[in-house]
Amino acid sequence: MKSFEYGDREIGTTEVAYGVSNMVIGFGVLTLPRSLAEMTESSDGWISLVLGGSVALAFGWVIASLCMRFPKMGLKDMTKAVTNRATANVVVVLFACYTFLFVGYETRGLANISKQYLFDRTPEEAICLFFLLVLAYGVAGPSSALLRLNLIFLPLVLLIVLGVLAMNIPFFNIHNLKPLFVTDWKNLLNGARGTVFSFLGFEIFLFYNALINRPKTMKKAVLGGLAVPLLTYLIVFVFVIGIFGSEVTKNTLYPTAELAKQVEIPGGFFERFESIFFTLWVVTLFNTAAMAFDVTIIALKTVFPKPERMTWIIALCPLIYLVAMQPQGIMEIDRFGKWISYAGIAIGWILPALLLGAAKLRGVEGNERAS
Amino acid sequence: MSDNASDDRQSSSAVISRDMQENIGYIRRLLGDPSDLLTRIVTIGGGKRSCALVFLSGLSDKAVIDDQIIRQILKAGRYGEEAPELDVSEVIGGLRNETMSVSQVIEATLWSDIVQAVLYGDTVMFLEGADDALIVGTQNWKERSIEEPPTEALVRGPREGFTEKVETNVGLIRRGIRDINLRFVSYTIGRRSRKTLILTYIQGIIHPSIVEEAQRRLESIDIDDAPESGFVEQWIEDSFLSPFPQLLHTERPDKVRAALLQGKAAIMLEGTPFALILPTTFVALIQSPEDYYERWLIGSLIRLLRYVAVFIALFFPAIYIALVSFHQGMIPFKLAFSIAAAREGVPFPAVIEALLMEGTLELLREAGVRLPKPIGQTIGIVGGLVIGEAAVQAGVVSPIMVIVVAVTAISSFAIPSYSAGIAFRMLRFATMLAAAILGLFGIILMFIVISIHLVRLKSFGMPYSSPFAPIFLNDWRDLVVRFPVTFLTKRPEFMQTKNINRANKRGKRI
Repeated sequence: MKSFEYGDREIGTTEVAYGVSNMVIGFGVLTLPRSLAEMTESSDGWISLVLGGSVALAFGWVIASLCMRFPKMGLKDMTKAVTNRATANVVVVLFACYTFLFVGYETRGLANISKQYLFDRTPEEAICLFFLLVLAYGVAGPSSALLRLNLIFLPLVLLIVLGVLAMNIPFFNIHNLKPLFVTDWKNLLNGARGTVFSFLGFEIFLFYNALINRPKTMKKAVLGGLAVPLLTYLIVFVFVIGIFGSEVTKNTLYPTAELAKQVEIPGGFFERFESIFFTLWVVTLFNTAAMAFDVTIIALKTVFPKPERMTWIIALCPLIYLVAMQPQGIMEIDRFGKWISYAGIAIGWILPALLLGAAKLRGVEGNERAS
Repeated sequence: MSDNASDDRQSSSAVISRDMQENIGYIRRLLGDPSDLLTRIVTIGGGKRSCALVFLSGLSDKAVIDDQIIRQILKAGRYGEEAPELDVSEVIGGLRNETMSVSQVIEATLWSDIVQAVLYGDTVMFLEGADDALIVGTQNWKERSIEEPPTEALVRGPREGFTEKVETNVGLIRRGIRDINLRFVSYTIGRRSRKTLILTYIQGIIHPSIVEEAQRRLESIDIDDAPESGFVEQWIEDSFLSPFPQLLHTERPDKVRAALLQGKAAIMLEGTPFALILPTTFVALIQSPEDYYERWLIGSLIRLLRYVAVFIALFFPAIYIALVSFHQGMIPFKLAFSIAAAREGVPFPAVIEALLMEGTLELLREAGVRLPKPIGQTIGIVGGLVIGEAAVQAGVVSPIMVIVVAVTAISSFAIPSYSAGIAFRMLRFATMLAAAILGLFGIILMFIVISIHLVRLKSFGMPYSSPFAPIFLNDWRDLVVRFPVTFLTKRPEFMQTKNINRANKRGKRI
């Protein structure tokens, strides 16, 4: 019989898988078809997507292996075990900076699309402010609650995506997908590079590893969690190309949102379905941002254990607000996002890979290794 | 507090005297010589000895005292003359074992026990020269008969409800579960009121941690009186800031029995027909016993309807406000025109209009509850029809707003748990304000806030949002859709019961 594990603050395999999916699905779905269509021709983007997804899965495997090698340890303890305390502190602070900027980017991006699709007169500043307040409330509680929130939110988001796609079936034109395999491999690789960014986010589980109660299943959870966004991206991409064709997709800012725009509710119950789509999309963006914020605090707390969680929240919220308000216009937001993604790949993916390599070479392991 | 405590200490160690008259005097003094404290002195054994019966007239059963005690003693006394001289202990034994035809007779020497027994309605018998007194069970409290619970009426299902007497309630539970593992742990709640509180559960099904936690919390209660189980609920609940009830109250024994079989526990308090079920989850607030009594299709559809009702009760006015003030484009063309035409003469923004109507409706509801039943219905008609109609004609609110408010009100009354309905109504005002400030974005932020709260909330260590989060797919068979009974072979997984199976697979016999 299982122990009564509700009272404690641990998370299980399901929470990890859902968390990975929800963390990864974010802005990616909205812009991915455009960036893919820019790089590749016709519907060949799916090859790039599969390539990019494989890279992400490979790094997912690396991170899961690292977590399994050091069960119940956060990134700081892992790094400390492999190298030394000073390096560990630097790595963790870098990671915190990355997630901190990520929250700012997410907040701003959300305000941006909300302004575009939900209101035209409410200023972005106000939208960001209210979103941050809710974010602060969200991270004020235990991390496990935040991870459980994914279990409610992810199905909602997947349902709305599937709903949008299902209602677009009548517009689907199979001829838009043809011809197949016309892009040369260079462009395919270029496209793949762009898609990799859309899989960023699951690296935060390097910190949540301390809360995971069954480290043995970590690989299954992370890879399974990554498979969901990969599949979603693939289906969405094929639908976008099938409906709009490659040329139109290239010139649309948020092609996925345009899909929602086309939807007409049978019976004319209400119009402008994209507003509903975006309203529900806020849910996944919120959870992505909240988990990143939570990890920022966890990371900072491992390096500076003195201040309370609340102190960190109160101190960080205005800073996030300032960061979110920095980029002027869509181009700058995009560039901001790109830099954060590069930082994420360096700190969140390559660094753990190096760490795993070093750990294997030196033969360092966690106390209770899960095989 | 101090004087009460010293009273307790004094009486807990004090022992009765051999002198009967002194004992009577003592208990009279202790209770302040009340007029309802009756003393009847009877002689035993042909006048050789006398004994005194002391009881409170309103709490004891006169018929039992007359027929089963006094008459039996007198009858015995007639034949007692030929009896040899007996010493005191033999007389006591004789009285207890041969004379009195009452089921509950115990010996006591401590004043604390004796006074307590008298206050509960038992009769105390002091025998001249004896070290012990006899406490005879004569409690008889005028009790309401078992009726159908007025707050939780069902179309199909047992028509019995709890009463104010805890023994009756225990009996009602026992009558439905004749299991040797059914446990009743009793507590005394209230430093002055000394009410009986009973924690019941089925050992072997419930997870022991829940019982331990419940016992720990019950033992922490220190209050002079708990007039209703609501006091207990508020004392032991997990979060007093949450709008959601963390213990479910019910008047229905069948609901409690079903909860016990699911691995939950229940608390019953003397003096109230409302039992508390713990732990409670969000889903339990939306379920009704009838979901199980009706066939599964009906049960599932009605349950689905209730989920819709929850959604409407929480968000419908907010969505109306958001659409009218922010996202007019989302309203279908023709409807937008009719709304615009209806709102033509209304001088207020949609929020004010909505708050006005919702406020009026809450007032009407409150007035309807307080007034006597026939007048309450009149108020409903006057309020609902007359005020609604007049408000529209006066151009204060638009007719569509009246529809919105009415549908919302009906939905919030479709939620089986009364206190959950209140929680949703409270939150509705918050969502309306959020919608007024940020439109649909505000509504989704409120939804996120409520979700965070629900995920964080716990009831006796059980996550309030289970089996949604943490997820237990097996329990989804009895969540939104209620599967046929033959499929519900397991007890809820999220309760982590010690005994998992409740039926054979698909009803097949072994």
